[in-house]
Amino acid sequence: MSNISENKLETTNSRRDFFKKTAAYSVSAIAAASIMAPAKLEADDHNIIHHVKWGTTLGDELNKHPYGIPSAYEHNVVRRTSSLLSSAGDMHAAVSMSPLHELEGIVTPNGLHFTRTHNGVAHVDPNKFRLMIHGLVEKPIVLTLDQLKRYPSESRLLFLECPANGAAEWKGPQFNSLQFVKGMMSNAEWTGVRLSVILDDLGLKPTAKWMLAEGSDGSEMSRTVPVEKVLDDAMIVWAQNGEALRPEQGYPVRLMLPGWEANLCVKWLKRLEFGAEPWYCKEETSKYTVLTKSGKAIQHFYPLEVNSIITNPCPEKPWSDLKMGDLVEIEGIAWSGHGTITNVDVSLDGGDNYVEAQLKGLVLPKSWTRFSYMHKFDGKPMLLQSRSVDDSGNVQPSVSQEKDIIGVEGVYHRNSIVTWEVKKDGSVHNVQVRTDNCPA
Amino acid sequence: MFKLNSKLIAASAALALSSTLAFAGTYTVQPGDTLAKIVSKLGFSSATAAGITAVPSGNMNVIRVGDRIEYTGEASVAPSTAGVYNATKNALDGGVTYPRANGVETAYRYNTQDMSGINNGRVPTANELKAWDTDMMPDGTGYPDGQGSVEEGDELYETQCASCHGEFGAGGKGYPTLSGGSMKSLKNQRTCPGKDAPKRTIGTYWPQVSTLIWYIRDAMPYAHPKSFTNDQLYAVTAYLLAQNEITIDGQELEDEYVLNREKLMKVVMPNHDGFFPKIDGPNGIENVRAFFKDRKNYGAVGIRCMSNCGKESVMRIKNEITAVVPAYSTVRDLPKVEAGAVGAKSQAEKDYDTSCSLCHKTDAMGAPPVGDKDAWATVIKQGMDVVNDHAIKGFAGMPPKGGNMDLTDQQVKDIVKFMVESSK
Repeated sequence: MSNISENKLETTNSRRDFFKKTAAYSVSAIAAASIMAPAKLEADDHNIIHHVKWGTTLGDELNKHPYGIPSAYEHNVVRRTSSLLSSAGDMHAAVSMSPLHELEGIVTPNGLHFTRTHNGVAHVDPNKFRLMIHGLVEKPIVLTLDQLKRYPSESRLLFLECPANGAAEWKGPQFNSLQFVKGMMSNAEWTGVRLSVILDDLGLKPTAKWMLAEGSDGSEMSRTVPVEKVLDDAMIVWAQNGEALRPEQGYPVRLMLPGWEANLCVKWLKRLEFGAEPWYCKEETSKYTVLTKSGKAIQHFYPLEVNSIITNPCPEKPWSDLKMGDLVEIEGIAWSGHGTITNVDVSLDGGDNYVEAQLKGLVLPKSWTRFSYMHKFDGKPMLLQSRSVDDSGNVQPSVSQEKDIIGVEGVYHRNSIVTWEVKKDGSVHNVQVRTDNCPA
Repeated sequence: MFKLNSKLIAASAALALSSTLAFAGTYTVQPGDTLAKIVSKLGFSSATAAGITAVPSGNMNVIRVGDRIEYTGEASVAPSTAGVYNATKNALDGGVTYPRANGVETAYRYNTQDMSGINNGRVPTANELKAWDTDMMPDGTGYPDGQGSVEEGDELYETQCASCHGEFGAGGKGYPTLSGGSMKSLKNQRTCPGKDAPKRTIGTYWPQVSTLIWYIRDAMPYAHPKSFTNDQLYAVTAYLLAQNEITIDGQELEDEYVLNREKLMKVVMPNHDGFFPKIDGPNGIENVRAFFKDRKNYGAVGIRCMSNCGKESVMRIKNEITAVVPAYSTVRDLPKVEAGAVGAKSQAEKDYDTSCSLCHKTDAMGAPPVGDKDAWATVIKQGMDVVNDHAIKGFAGMPPKGGNMDLTDQQVKDIVKFMVESSK
């Protein structure tokens, strides 16, 4: 093709253009075309035939955005909110949902990380930030941000999930959207220091059984954590996917308790106090307690239990463009705050029968794990489910199994199996497979 | 009815070579497994070498899909199958922990160098500790000095709290309801006919009064937290206890009742015993451990059934919630540029955003919403002097200057002007 001017690419296709144009008028030309191009007679793709705008103009200067931003075409890939998941539509004490249907792999970009605040997003001046650690320790301390960050760091890929993830659906499906069914969670690489390293300096007294973690935002968000967890794997983190925490995630510093309620991972952290008795914070009494059908509530319900969700297909990403016989990947995310995902099973018939899916990519403790099952699309209606198993031996329960013990008013810690109904046309709908009984 | 893909199972059990490691764990039986296969998958030469001395069926010749088999022992090939780690099932929360040894923890390497004696930071001063160590606990730790009456609390509540929490704490404004309802309602299940939602109010649900006064002190009033004096704090607390018909020493909290530290220490909340596991006292942590150990306690009762597990009926969405922002879309196009692109916000608009929008953005709080021409026409009819006066001094449910006393009178007037002009 070297003899053809790069600026006149169209000329290279003139023969195909001829057949295409002629085909519209002449039956014999179609026959001729079929002989000469036996594969198919299709209109040529304009995007291939002609030069594109971005190939014939000068692009932006490379550092137009010193902090890079996504392509403008990705503007619908954003967190979403619903006034029904807030007080009177007030977005200072509300939650935004991660667009799980658009996320790939196991790392959530920082701008898409789900966010929950109780008194708005605080903007902490890092120069005025102080962290105080005191109580039942031999030596209480105050740290500036620089002093804190001078501790040796560790990085972990960990999920964060609001225990209210899926809370709107205890009584039945309400949102026809993956983003709103399970979007109160994200997964990121968090960097900070293990609390045990700092406590080694401070000397924890043997009488210390609990730790109060207190935020510096307007709600002074605080929670009580058992010291046993603090010493096992708790961290104070200052980085998220390689950069400083976003303000929505607690800039400059938040607590990180791998596998436990995101609400316990206190943001805008200012104070840790060690004590012999629990504190009874507002967010571990009036909220974040699981009211069971007995009328009594579970308190200090820390771990997010084994869970999974099919992300492809999903209501936002249907199979409407598939043809019979297409081989397609059923893909999803599994996670467990109790340990590491060992297996995921997929059901195509609403949980009557399961087949084992394959795990793929990094399989890490208390982190999202991707799973895959290859399926030949046959246009038959399906009730798609995934069910995960972790190395603590926990198996994700069905809606009925969980509900029969907890009831439907628990709000938090709902981890039962999600069902997508795939209709003949490939559209995907959020449904539940369940049996409801009321006492006579 | 689905044929198991044996390749998948084999693939997930593929072993990677590793150095000799002592390990123990639990293996969940997969379809197609035999004991010999499992032993091999785990990298052992025999069941004895794997330390498998019993199986759940009780008969070493019978294993069932989903059975969990405990193994211990030293393998020449460690079970380093991706994602299968050396877990110990001893975590407080019912899960596993991963021991750290020789610089390895699961797939992570960790730093084994000496980290003791870093000693960053400094010891806080006594005044610094006093300034920040202000939490309050059920035993009365941290209760401040001061006092306030139910009647004083009533006045404060009307101006500072009612616009969100409703008259007498009865809710209805979209924010949490603080009073009313019954403990009996906590058993309600809305999937059953004729049942309302359980009422989780201060009087029916909150276990400790320390939580109430501590939270009000730190987090309320919502838009201007930490602005109550200690006397005001006791007054508002007294008012809320009175609205919830909570008694102290058998005495009802009448208007003239004055609450202080000593009296607050005597409060026993009605739902004090409504929570489990019990976390107080020397056995608190062990109660938590015991609770999580029995998975039936918290609904973790999934079973790994593979075939003929049973059919249940399908419940579809009855009334879909579609009120989401921004609206659903997966289209990849260029965002629409709004006509008359937005310029920089005026100072008045910024002040409106931070001090007034909470109530005036919508009509949820009973305040005239910005942009509502009819509502504002009625307001303006009174004359701007009156409107400005109301904004500065407070009016009906609205606190003076919207509760932000840092605003000057002129700033308030500018905000009012912005609100009026945005509603024409």
